[in-house]
Amino acid sequence: MFDQSEIILGRACAARRFADALLRSGGDTQVTVRISNPSTGDTNSQLGLEPPSAADLQVSPALVKTLNPIEDGKRRIEAVISASALKAIARQYQVEDIAAWLLLAQGVLYYGNLMRIDTVTVDRFFGSDCLYHLTATE
Amino acid sequence: MQPTKDSFYIALRTRLVAVDPNRTMTLDGATRPAIAVIENEPPTGAPLLCDTFYLRWGNARPTTLSVGTLMAMDCTISYCTKGSVQNANLDRGRDLAGLDNDLLAICAPPQTPKYDYSTGSPVSLASTIFWTQPVLNAAKSTPPYVGRDINVTVFFYPEVNQS
Repeated sequence: MFDQSEIILGRACAARRFADALLRSGGDTQVTVRISNPSTGDTNSQLGLEPPSAADLQVSPALVKTLNPIEDGKRRIEAVISASALKAIARQYQVEDIAAWLLLAQGVLYYGNLMRIDTVTVDRFFGSDCLYHLTATE
Repeated sequence: MQPTKDSFYIALRTRLVAVDPNRTMTLDGATRPAIAVIENEPPTGAPLLCDTFYLRWGNARPTTLSVGTLMAMDCTISYCTKGSVQNANLDRGRDLAGLDNDLLAICAPPQTPKYDYSTGSPVSLASTIFWTQPVLNAAKSTPPYVGRDINVTVFFYPEVNQS
């Protein structure tokens, strides 16, 4: 007897590994995502007097594409990041919804500039997240 | 000007805790009263939260009818809700009414003492700010969301040597 669920899981794993291999073939780039640590929630932080501390997360494999700048000339990039790499990091932070978590991040570091994350989309194959696409603006 | 913004927010937040202590939100990992000033929050791409009052400051100007230095500043208070999934979002109108009630309650009385919070603890400026009563204009409906943008004008005397 075949275990149907095992076949599906195997396919998802293959898709993730294929996606990771594709990213590595592009140069095995590393992307730095800057996330805010949990806020203290006190009055000073609510009044914007106390910035939250931040942590820089190095994620690889990934690819970075430069997109056409927006109308006012600000630079835009798209970062394509391995879902398996992101999941391993998200687990440490006990994060379930990675896309929502990334939208709350301070941004992506690109040549020393912090670029704000505008959108996060996910490529899913065989029911499993494989690639995260982040668009970020200067 | 900043003490006016801070005092208005703190007054509304304190009143919200008293009026509806269960109206809270979790933002950046911290649970707090469901009211926030947009310009004080991190500029992320995340959508605004439902069932939360967001304050957005607009233009400031001298009042035309005043002989003294009285200033007026616009503040837009935005909020929306989508009801509950358990009720198939059919209760969004009732939830909006709850938000409306809370807003009217926290905006009254329409005055509060002005404090300077820039040092981290409130310092009285021996002055008062006051504001217009909110008018509940037509609700914006973008299924499943329904919400309002309320305009309030806050009046204050600018402080010498204050930002």
